[in-house]
Amino acid sequence: MNAIDFFPLFLKANLRMTQRRISQLRQQSMLMMAVILLFVTGYWVGAYCLVHWGLGVLVHEFAGLGVLLVDRMLYLFFAFLFLMLIFSNMIIGYSSLYESQETQWMLTLPVRHSDVFSWKLAETMVLASWAFVFLATPLMFAYGMARQVGGLFYLKVFLLLLPFMILTASLGALAVLLIARYFQRRAFKWGLCAMAMIGVLLAVAHFHTIHPEGTQEAALGQLLRSSHLTLKPVLPSYWVASGVIAWGEKSEGRGAFFFLVLLSNALMGMLVCVGISGRMFYSGWSRTQSQGGFPLSAPRSGRPVVPLLHRLVDRLPGIDPITRALAIKDIRTFCRDISQWSQFAIFFGLLALHVVNMRNFAYDWNNEFWAAFVSFLNLGATSMTLATLTTRFVYPQFSLEGKRLWLVGMAPDGLRRMLLEKFWLSSAVSVAITLSLTLGSSWLRGEPPWMALLLGATVVLMSFALSGIAVGTGALFPNFGSGSTANRRDDNPAKIVSGFGGTFCFVLSLAYILLVIGGEALPFYFYLPWVNGANDTYGWAVVGSWVFTATISLVAAAVPMSLALKRVESLEF
Amino acid sequence: MIKTEQLTKKFGSLTAVDNLSLSIEPGEFFAFLGPNAAGKTTTIKLLAGLLKPTSGRALIGGYDIQEEPTKARQLISYVPDFPFLYDKLQPMEFMLLVGQLYGMDRSEILRASQDLFDLLHLDETRDQLIENLSHGTRQRVAIASALLHNPRVIIIDEPMVGLDPRSARVVKDLLKSRARQGVAVFLSTHILEVAEELADRIGILNRGRLIAVGTMSELREASGEMGALEDTFLALTREEEEAEPAEST
Repeated sequence: MNAIDFFPLFLKANLRMTQRRISQLRQQSMLMMAVILLFVTGYWVGAYCLVHWGLGVLVHEFAGLGVLLVDRMLYLFFAFLFLMLIFSNMIIGYSSLYESQETQWMLTLPVRHSDVFSWKLAETMVLASWAFVFLATPLMFAYGMARQVGGLFYLKVFLLLLPFMILTASLGALAVLLIARYFQRRAFKWGLCAMAMIGVLLAVAHFHTIHPEGTQEAALGQLLRSSHLTLKPVLPSYWVASGVIAWGEKSEGRGAFFFLVLLSNALMGMLVCVGISGRMFYSGWSRTQSQGGFPLSAPRSGRPVVPLLHRLVDRLPGIDPITRALAIKDIRTFCRDISQWSQFAIFFGLLALHVVNMRNFAYDWNNEFWAAFVSFLNLGATSMTLATLTTRFVYPQFSLEGKRLWLVGMAPDGLRRMLLEKFWLSSAVSVAITLSLTLGSSWLRGEPPWMALLLGATVVLMSFALSGIAVGTGALFPNFGSGSTANRRDDNPAKIVSGFGGTFCFVLSLAYILLVIGGEALPFYFYLPWVNGANDTYGWAVVGSWVFTATISLVAAAVPMSLALKRVESLEF
Repeated sequence: MIKTEQLTKKFGSLTAVDNLSLSIEPGEFFAFLGPNAAGKTTTIKLLAGLLKPTSGRALIGGYDIQEEPTKARQLISYVPDFPFLYDKLQPMEFMLLVGQLYGMDRSEILRASQDLFDLLHLDETRDQLIENLSHGTRQRVAIASALLHNPRVIIIDEPMVGLDPRSARVVKDLLKSRARQGVAVFLSTHILEVAEELADRIGILNRGRLIAVGTMSELREASGEMGALEDTFLALTREEEEAEPAEST
């Protein structure tokens, strides 16, 4: 059987399975569908409006320079998209090619190895790219509207994105083929982790050097200089951005030229990839399957390496032995799952990048409104990242116990203790991270101590509340995967989060954040001296807003947790 | 039908399969036994072409599985201990996919599938999604899909795990009847009674080495144990364990 016969069969089977997944989703919950639709539409409309408004401001406020800035923004956007697509293709490609049971099954079929590889390449490309392309659509529509182009422009942009996706998928797959062939399996995960961290550090270092202080012209000049790297004509992101710009300017020939450059490179990339896969894919497959498990940290001293956090929990007084054992188990499990670290690194890297950049918001520190605005912006960004983090890493914890749930459930008061342990552990880690980042950024911006104290106390409360929401909803709406209890096999946290419970957890976390920030920011706005002049109620308003935050946080943490604790008492496992 | 010539697989410093030379004829039911981590699954993966041998070769129907994998795989059916199935397909849809992958036409697939579904009592499950089936039923679907294209070689790893006594009986009868029709069956199992009941010849692997191979009576003779296969197996593997330290010193 060759690829021509093989592809339609798998395409048909996969389409049928996708159709079933969608219809199952419809049957599952209308609320979930409504929430997802609301978010998708909300994102799309919000992003479109924001970009459209931003483009309008750039074009009208900076006569002459505006168009240049818009174009540069596109180059920058596609350069990031290029990197993210390669990264995403590598992660998905590696697990799809070398860690999937489906690939093993396919390799026992009477089909060529290169055909199996080609199918997996196509599958990886779709899985790795669809979300990024979706994220890009509002931007492209806003750009098209700003340029006042016809409907054909959007079709052409879509066509331009196709070879871009193929090229990034080929580059990602090529990297994966080489890594699997020549490096150890663990090296791939370590490598990804290192790449993520290095990327974040480079971004921090690069943007840290931008200090848009002084005149607007100087600041813009600095921004243009620092993004000059994206204008290298050898970059595929340059070709795609140039094609979009050319078609936006109705320069058909130039646009077509960049499309053809992309297409020829994409086809070449695919040809090289599939060509070498005949020899390299199977060798790499056999090599990865031959490596098996690795002994964990075999230190020269002969003593096992114990993570710092583990040692800390081991020495903390006042913890009962069962809770301590559960906490150590959770820490060990997380520390040994290297694939999670890269995502963890990206989250914290983004947070660090934000904090480092806070001092660049030095537009007008003397203006009290501006200073308060930046403070709340900082609080919002920190808490939003924390909400993403608790949803992504804490919410799946209960579901991850899956078929092992009985083990803890059989212990006296086991599941209640487990939930409380997860809550305290998540809260402690969240407090340590967010408090240090918030106080650090306050110090960088030279905020008054009372403001730093207020923001610090707020993030502590938010850490507890968001942990409570994540642990509580995790137990109330677990996602054990499909099938009967015996068939529970969802060990992938990313997959667990994508269900109803994960979505609900995130929505609840966002609603809580909006309430807290709104509650704290509004009294500031109404009572600050610049609005009403100095008055006696100002101090009370600040205290009142903080009491409001404390109350809301207590409710947000306690309600899901107490409901979850009640639920696990009657849980069948 | 299955032939290995000094087949060796090393994982770093560990030799999982050591110089394995074996020949299994058409129509022969061969049971492969061994303690945990003896190298049984590695051998099976080498035979199915899922691993590259460090040295030596495996031939299926005269085709080297590494040199001519597509031709060799056309003859094989491999059922691992945890078989892969598409959860969102129904059993019959999965059979259709597998049959078409082996170049069968639709009517032939439907007819053969119906026969296998009747034999393996899968008819009631045909409208259910595979994700809703129990482990034993999934195992039966996997076995049915493996037998669909009338393979000349069946390589099967622990087929009885999760099967109820009735299903286990059906699977045993099915495999035995295929062997009678000229199919070479290579079965790896820990259940010694299954091997004793079904196998024409038994091979015992320990620490990657084939320590004994032959009919039940030949193994009894070699071990000096005249009782059940369990006694023979324990005697042979014990001898090997005892000989190992002596050799190394």
